[in-house]
Amino acid sequence: MLRPLYRCVLRLHPPAFRERFADEMLSIFDHCLGRPGLGGLGLGRPTALSLFADGLLSLARQWTLRPEFLHDVAPAPAHQPAMDGIPLFLSLNPFRPRAAAVIHGLLLSVAVFSLTCFAIKYSWIQVLHVRIPEVQFERPQWIPPTARQSDPQRGSPASVAQGRAPIPARPESPAAPSPASTAPPRALRPSSGALPGASPRPIAAQKHATPASAAPDSKLRKVTKTSHAPKAQGTTDPVAPVAGVPSAIAEDSKLDATTRHRVIDGAVANLEKYYVYPNVAEKIANALRAHENNGDDSGASDGETFAKLLTAQMQDVSHDQHLKVAYNAIKSSEGVLGSTPEELARYRKDMRRTNCTFEKGAILPHNIGYLKFNSFPDPSLCQPTAAAEMASLNQADAIIFDLRDNQGGSPSMVALMASYLFEHPTHLDDLYNRSEGSTLQSWTLSPVTGNKLANKPAYVLTSASTFSGAEEFGYDLKLLKRATLVGETTAGAAHMVRRHRIDDHFSIGVPDTRPINPISRTDWEGTGVEPDVKVDAGDALETAKKLAAKDLQQE
Amino acid sequence: MKDGDTTFLPLSPATLHILLSLAGDDLHGYAIMQEIARQSDGKYKLGPGTLYDNLQKLIQRQWVQELGHRPADDDPRRRYYRLTAAGRGVLAAETSRLGEVVREARSRLQMAKPRRA
Repeated sequence: MLRPLYRCVLRLHPPAFRERFADEMLSIFDHCLGRPGLGGLGLGRPTALSLFADGLLSLARQWTLRPEFLHDVAPAPAHQPAMDGIPLFLSLNPFRPRAAAVIHGLLLSVAVFSLTCFAIKYSWIQVLHVRIPEVQFERPQWIPPTARQSDPQRGSPASVAQGRAPIPARPESPAAPSPASTAPPRALRPSSGALPGASPRPIAAQKHATPASAAPDSKLRKVTKTSHAPKAQGTTDPVAPVAGVPSAIAEDSKLDATTRHRVIDGAVANLEKYYVYPNVAEKIANALRAHENNGDDSGASDGETFAKLLTAQMQDVSHDQHLKVAYNAIKSSEGVLGSTPEELARYRKDMRRTNCTFEKGAILPHNIGYLKFNSFPDPSLCQPTAAAEMASLNQADAIIFDLRDNQGGSPSMVALMASYLFEHPTHLDDLYNRSEGSTLQSWTLSPVTGNKLANKPAYVLTSASTFSGAEEFGYDLKLLKRATLVGETTAGAAHMVRRHRIDDHFSIGVPDTRPINPISRTDWEGTGVEPDVKVDAGDALETAKKLAAKDLQQE
Repeated sequence: MKDGDTTFLPLSPATLHILLSLAGDDLHGYAIMQEIARQSDGKYKLGPGTLYDNLQKLIQRQWVQELGHRPADDDPRRRYYRLTAAGRGVLAAETSRLGEVVREARSRLQMAKPRRA
C-alpha cells in the first residue's frame, strides 16, 4: 500500500533528482520488498515503512539543502545500444513542466473557471447572459400541431410569437363561453408560435425595431406603401429575402398566366380553409377569380407586382389589413416558412438594441407617468424590460400610455401591460380561431406584485396609425372603463394572421383568428377604436396631460 | 597525489563507503547498498535517499560516472556507476589520511597503556 505513496514522494522530488534517480529508487523499493534481507548479510529486511521514511527525508533534504541541484540535471551518459543488440530509441529533450508550474497552472485554471461561472451566473457582462427561453424558441416539440405549418401573427412585426391554449368552442359562435380558464396558459407560452412563422416576418420586425426614437413607424409606412396595404404595416415585407436558407436561390420572377393561376388557386384554397369569416373568404375568392378572368392580372409580369395586386384585390373586398400575399424573390425550400434561428436571433438583438421598442418613460408634472412604446413585443424576451419600465412609473398618480406609433404585437404582452391596471385577473378578450374551431381566453395577470398603479387614472393616446394589438389594448381598457382614450380613431385591424405557403416564392397571410370582447361581443375590425376624447394625434398628449391634471385635482 | 584530491577531505562516511564499494567493480544502486552492508558487516545502513543524494554530489564532482549500458537481462530501471580516476584519487587520499589517523591513534593508545611499577 505504501508503494503508491512512496512513488508520490519520489515524484515530489526536484525535477533533476527525480528524472535521474526516481526510477532506480523505486526499483530498490520493489527489490527490497520482494526478497528477504539485503543479500542475506544480516542487515535485516528494510521495511516499506523505513524506505518510505527515507524517501520523506530525502524529499526534505533535496528541496532544502540542495538548491544547487534543483534545476541542474547532471550530465547523463550517452546511452549505448543494449547489450543484446536491440537498439534503444530515446526522445530528444523531452519536455516536462516543473511541479511548481503545474500547481500554478492548476490554481489559475480553477480561478478562471470559477470567475467564468460566476460571470454567467450573475451576468454582469451582458455578452455572457444566457437566456434559456431563447433556446426553447427553436425547439420543434414546442410547436402546437396546428402551428407547424404557419404562424399566427397580429399587426405588429413584433408579434412573431403568440401562444395558444385552445379551448373547445362552437366554431361559429362569436362569444363561445369557455371554462374558467385564465390568461396564464397563453401568457406564459408566448413563444410557441414563433417557430414556424412566416419567414419575412422578422425582417419586417427589424425594420420596425430599428429606430427607437426616430419615428419607428415611418419606415414601416414605407413598407406599407410598397405593399399596397396602407395600414398593414407590420404584416410583412414582400421582397424580404428568406435569411438563413442555405439552399435559397434567386430566380427570375417573370410570371406567366399559368403561374398566376396557380398562385390564385393557392391563395383561394388557403382563404377558404383558414380565413376567419368563410363568407368573406368566398367573396374574396370570387373577386380574385373575376379579376383573373377579366384579365386584370395580365399586366403583372413579375412576382412583386403580382403580390401587391392580389393584396389590393383582396383588401378591396375584405378591408382586412392583415390579409396579404407576399412574394419572395429568393426561392424557399419546402416547409421553411417559419422563422429561422438567424432571424429569431436578429429579432432578439433588435429588441435588445431598441429596449423592446419602449421609447420613452417619464414622470410629467403633477406626477403623471408617461410611457411611449411602439409595439407589444414577445414577453418571453421583453417582459423584464416592460416590468422595469412600469416599475419606474410605479409611484405616479396617473399614467399615460402613448400608443400613437404602436403597431401592435403579442396579445400576451397586451395582457401583461394591462395587468398593471387591475387588482384582479380581468377578462380582456376571447380569441376565436376559425380553422381550429377553438377559443382562447385572454386575461390579465393581475395583481402584479408591488404594483401601485391598479387604481390610478389611466389614459391611452391613439392615432390613425395605432394598429392591431395596440388597438386591442385601448379597446379593452375603454370597454372596461379603465382608461380614457385620447386621440384619433385607430386603424381598425383586429385579426391575427398566420402565414401559409403557396409555392416556392409566394405565401399568403390569412387572418384566422379574431378577438371577441366579452363586453361588446365584437371587435374593431374595419371600424377602428373610437377615442373617448377625439383630438388630433399631435395634440393628444397635451390633452391627456390636462385631463389627468384635472382628474387629479378633483380627487 | 594531486592537491584537488585533498580539498574535500575528510570524506563523510557515506561518501567514503560509496567510493569504496565502487573501487572494485561497476555497481548499480542496490548493489552499492549491499556492498556497503558487506563492508561494514551490517553496521552501516545506507538508505536509497542518502545513497542517491551522495551519488548526485559524486557525479557532479566527477568522482563517479554513470554508465550508459547495463546487462540485457537486468532491471531496466537500474543504472550502473563507475569510479572515475578522480574518484579513485580522492579515495586513495582519504585512505592515506585515514591510515595516518589510524597509525597515530595506535601510537597514542600504546603510549596511554598503564604501566606496572
